[in-house]
Amino acid sequence: MTFVTVNTVSEFLCFLAAIFFLYGEKVTAWKLFIPFLLLTCAVEIGGIYIREYMRIYNYPIYNVYLLFECGFTSYFFYYLYKPYHYKALWLLSWLGVFAAMYVGELFYNNFGRFTSHTATVMSVVFVLASLYFYYLKLKDEHFEPLLFSAPFWWVSGTLFFYFGSTVCNIFSDYLAEHERIRSVRYIIFNILDIIMYIFWSYAFLCRYRQRKSSPSLG
Amino acid sequence: MQISSKEIISLIGLTSIIFLIAPLFLILYVLSYNRRKKKHHEETLILQKNFETELLKTQMEVQEQTLKTVAYDLHDNIGQLLSLTTITLSSINLNDSRNTAEKIALVEDLTLRSIKEVKALSRLLHGEEIVSKGLSAAIEFELEWLKRSEKFEITFEHNNMAIISDNAKDTILFRLFQEIINNIIQHAKATGIIINLEAIEDTLKLTIRDNGVGFDVDEILKRKGGMGLHNIKRRSAMINGTASIVSTKLNGTIITINVPYK
Repeated sequence: MTFVTVNTVSEFLCFLAAIFFLYGEKVTAWKLFIPFLLLTCAVEIGGIYIREYMRIYNYPIYNVYLLFECGFTSYFFYYLYKPYHYKALWLLSWLGVFAAMYVGELFYNNFGRFTSHTATVMSVVFVLASLYFYYLKLKDEHFEPLLFSAPFWWVSGTLFFYFGSTVCNIFSDYLAEHERIRSVRYIIFNILDIIMYIFWSYAFLCRYRQRKSSPSLG
Repeated sequence: MQISSKEIISLIGLTSIIFLIAPLFLILYVLSYNRRKKKHHEETLILQKNFETELLKTQMEVQEQTLKTVAYDLHDNIGQLLSLTTITLSSINLNDSRNTAEKIALVEDLTLRSIKEVKALSRLLHGEEIVSKGLSAAIEFELEWLKRSEKFEITFEHNNMAIISDNAKDTILFRLFQEIINNIIQHAKATGIIINLEAIEDTLKLTIRDNGVGFDVDEILKRKGGMGLHNIKRRSAMINGTASIVSTKLNGTIITINVPYK
């Protein structure tokens, strides 16, 4: 039962929602959610396995996962901004900055810790990206029913997760030092995971409905 | 004062909760703004629909006015010419060759005049095309018919109108012009009409002045029908314009319509 946690269950349910709602999807950005969530589930299970059964630190697996998380989320934001004539140069610049910070922090820690500072900066960038998406939506004169808009709910879930985790990320070193296993950080991340995956699952449902009502989407 | 780690952790937990509530309010704000956008979008659609309906109504009124003119002309002009032709033909005495030649020449003249009238009517029947040629051309054409009655001394002045044109606005403005002229014919007892059409930057200014008996504008506006004055104001507002009506008893009326063409 070690593997059944709030995180793993919420991730797995969201993965199932992705399979069900995005299987016939033609747009690559949406379809990529299936492998990405599969990877998320695998990393979570792998992390628990390494910690509980191999009795070693599991940060290397999360360090690798951070690359995929940043790459995919950044690409998806880029996909959402594309209709607003957003340039690929911004995406590439951000990925360049991220790579430099990531490699720098890995070397600074001698590959011996989780790259928490890079993860914190990434969270802040994703929060700004989410707010920028809202700004674009508010500025857009064209009306769109946001209650049924898949991108809106995906961004909302992402904003909840990265904004809500900012404090925990900033104080991650302190919390790691002073907390026990079932900690405030653990509870907060459980809540954030549940909120984000509910929002994402709803976003997949909206996308599915949109796809069914407009066959040209796939 | 030393703060314990437990207190710091509680503070971190509390701050995180606040950081969770903030996006919630942001999402609610975006959704409520979007609802307002939807309402505005719907209102714009209704306005657009109303405008299209009104435009259609205006086009029909222009056609109706044209048909009335055609009917009057057929009865008063072409009808008279043809009656005269018939009478002339029936009075021909084939034995009186000199008189016959004169009468045939008269019949020929009457027939040519009838053809000319029919051609003019045919041009009038393409009322909408006339509006599409430009507002000043349409007004000029309409005034030609009015001049034939010889009841009014008409002056029409206009500057370079080619710069601005909008078919929908032209149609509505042309119909307003027709309504104002009809009012003058029916109620003003005027002998002179001065029409001025000028383009000032992106605004079109149509001024119609008569030397008739005038009327109390406020009193007329209070009435239900209001001589179509309400209609003039409403339709002007519909094309983002304004209509000013100035009238004093025994001193004539000036109606000015300003319409932005941007």
